[in-house]
Amino acid sequence: MLSEVAFWGLAALAVAGGVMVFRFDSMARATFALLTSLLCVGGEVLLLGLDYLGIVIVLMMTIEMAIMAVFMIMYMMNPAGLTPMTMMHNKQGATAICAAAFVLLAAGILSTPWPARRGKPPTDATMDLGMSLMGPQMLTMMTLGMALFATIVATVVLATRRGRYDRLGDSLRAPSTDDPIRGGVGR
Amino acid sequence: MQQRRRTTAADVALTRLGVVLLPVAALLAAAVVPLGFRSVSDLADGIVWFNAMEALAWAAVWLAGWGPNSTLALIGGYRFLAQGLAYELPHMLAITTAALGAESLRVGEVVDTQAGLWFAVWMPVAFAIYLLSAMAMAFWGPFDQPAGRDVAGGAAAELSGVDRIVFLGGRWLLLTVAAAFSVPLFLGGGNGPLLPPWLWTVLKTVAVLAFLVWIRRKVPTLRMDRYMEVAWVVLTPLAILQALVVALVVLVR
Amino acid sequence: MELRSKAARLAVAHPGVLLAACPGATRARLAVEEELLRRSWPVVAGPASANLLVVVGDPDPARADWAENLWNGIPEPKSRAVVREAEQATAALDDGHLALFGPDDQVSVSPREERRMNGVLPSGRAGSRRREGHAPDGPAHAVRDGAAHHDCAEHETESHHSGHSGDGQDEAHGTHGGGHGHDMHAMSVVAGLPMADRADDRDGLRLDRLHVPLGPALLDWPAGLVLRLALQGDVVQQAEVDQISVRASSRHPFWNDPWLRVIAGERVERGLAARRLCAAHLDSVGRFLAVSGWDDEAKRARSARRRVLAGASVEELGVLLRPWARQLRRSRTLRWLTRGLGELSSERAAAAGVTGPALVAGGDAYCRLLVWLDEIERAAAVCGDTRVLDATELSGPRGRLNGPVPPSQALLDVLPGLLEGAEFAGARIIVASLDPDLDELVPVVDSRVAHE
Repeated sequence: MLSEVAFWGLAALAVAGGVMVFRFDSMARATFALLTSLLCVGGEVLLLGLDYLGIVIVLMMTIEMAIMAVFMIMYMMNPAGLTPMTMMHNKQGATAICAAAFVLLAAGILSTPWPARRGKPPTDATMDLGMSLMGPQMLTMMTLGMALFATIVATVVLATRRGRYDRLGDSLRAPSTDDPIRGGVGR
Repeated sequence: MQQRRRTTAADVALTRLGVVLLPVAALLAAAVVPLGFRSVSDLADGIVWFNAMEALAWAAVWLAGWGPNSTLALIGGYRFLAQGLAYELPHMLAITTAALGAESLRVGEVVDTQAGLWFAVWMPVAFAIYLLSAMAMAFWGPFDQPAGRDVAGGAAAELSGVDRIVFLGGRWLLLTVAAAFSVPLFLGGGNGPLLPPWLWTVLKTVAVLAFLVWIRRKVPTLRMDRYMEVAWVVLTPLAILQALVVALVVLVR
Repeated sequence: MELRSKAARLAVAHPGVLLAACPGATRARLAVEEELLRRSWPVVAGPASANLLVVVGDPDPARADWAENLWNGIPEPKSRAVVREAEQATAALDDGHLALFGPDDQVSVSPREERRMNGVLPSGRAGSRRREGHAPDGPAHAVRDGAAHHDCAEHETESHHSGHSGDGQDEAHGTHGGGHGHDMHAMSVVAGLPMADRADDRDGLRLDRLHVPLGPALLDWPAGLVLRLALQGDVVQQAEVDQISVRASSRHPFWNDPWLRVIAGERVERGLAARRLCAAHLDSVGRFLAVSGWDDEAKRARSARRRVLAGASVEELGVLLRPWARQLRRSRTLRWLTRGLGELSSERAAAAGVTGPALVAGGDAYCRLLVWLDEIERAAAVCGDTRVLDATELSGPRGRLNGPVPPSQALLDVLPGLLEGAEFAGARIIVASLDPDLDELVPVVDSRVAHE
């Protein structure tokens, strides 16, 4: 009973947060409406008994939104949303796509003939999750992880204008690096 | 008794949210910290839970800095994000190392594993990194730049009256919780001779807090433009090495 | 009610003091700081945590809206005091403290505040214009009715926001130019506040930047200095030096007084000059350490400064200063944190007419700190010298006093160049490491009227 109330409460809050992302006209508010929505989703996952996944969603989404805020300051140094602004370009299109996706997913969830539970939930779901990810799928996961990491590094390398030749000279032998702001290691 | 004040064109809702979120995050994090051998809730993934709640403080400080629509507060707010990016990576690896040593994410089991040898003894690097990040997550002592006096109080620059008390109180709470969490993670929790477990926990927490207070007097504020590189280039590899050593020990054991 | 007023009394027993020091009032500032220390009243970093505004010096009343802005930013209960001369410090602080308790043990509510409480804002507290840090100028109060606080979802289609709408946006901000009048840069204004405009950053990306005046009432900041910064994120892109205007003074600048008296033909003991130099540098180092976030050592510097000015003996000063200076020199963290900030080579310093410790150091902020420490120890050792200072040794704490311009003017001239490209926290350290003394720029009515 209690978990049902929690489920529906969180679900409503998640959807409301999602809607508010489109209604708010301040970048900060929209970001944190999105975060609220995602935290509610994390809560739902917790309710389903997947503790680890739920908490990781909370952790990841919070940090992700905080990092978004860094970019927010780059693009908008007016704090507190002095100037109203929308988060979206092509607002109608975005709303339509979101609504359609929501309806499609909801319809799918409601119309699928879910099988009845066989067996019992595992005693340690985190352990089982780890075993299934890192047991038979180990190779896939490791490859995937490395590919993601390589993508991140490659993106940063492509995005920065200055490379090591700018920092250390053509022969890479400069005694100290030429950086706009000196770092902490003294390279 | 000071009145609350409001700045021009401030986003009051977001400011208040940030102010209240800070102590709330600290309290939620405290739920998995055991006093003696008992905590409010010994979650199966308590360590990850603590990490997630402490990340909420990022959002809280940033909101409190952004909301009042004041430049110095904004600087304080985004300084904390930079600080978060610097300390979080080695911090996560450090607490993961403790979990690895106990082969469990449950805080209670981490304590049980330390009935004999404290983790602080054979994972000194992880312990040191944890202490650094405990100060950093509560933006306190050498890491007080987000609320530094050079930006007139930073994220707290525009808070007065009850807002200020709640926010700065939340920061103290967060520091205390972070210090208290080092006890089950690295200092054997309630384990100890003669005295009851709860008293051991309290004593060890007080000792860690005292150390953190002492270090504040000895070191100037670490600026993130310098510390960031150290955190990523020195501390992160060190933390990975420590985790590797612990993993090997656990495998052989 | 009884309890409430008691609690209020308790809360303001040690009121938070916001110090707003003007140039030309160093002597009064030192007296106020000493008095605050004696009463253990905390000096706070900004208006939000202050109860008592203490304006030290004699600001030009026609252009003192910065002080008014500070006053409006302080939440009730509050009071203010003006200290023009060192001798008034005690009485002015007493009066200010007394005014914090209203007439009959009630916390005072000023007429202004009453009006505001009845006004539109539901929780309408002092909502002064706070966006520009401690804004020294601009409209004293920006729009204060709740309308400034925009309501969500109502202006979604409005196009005049900064940041996202593409090219049209640049034109809206295109009016931004070099117009540094008394007020502010020409740029779009919302709710009475100037908006960020855009400029290329150091990587060539077009990003928002904000114009922020820093000072004059910042903690650990040269009295009266105003820096107009263009900030892009945390990076200072441009800096312009300005200062608040004060009325002409009848005294020499406090720190330079012994040497200026020699120039005026008086006989001054070397010991006196050394003492003044030592105290001036201790004042600077105290500020430097406070800005670097080392409150403990800053406190020690300030208490040493007090002892020096109070006439402590050479032996006592040696005992006091030597371990302190040794600890600072040995601190690797301090060196690591301040190396490479505000690099000013000797050639560049000399070309700009800098003559004091900044020229001797010929390096970064840390070098300048070391020079200060050396000079402090050297001066402290000769505090008892009773020989007469001769007219060839006219080098004050900030440089030669018989040059064409005051030494601090040269420091202010090099300052913008050092700040550009620095990060905000670094910029504050750079300012503290030069520590220009704006007293030197205050016009003196008659140099022979009064001396310390």
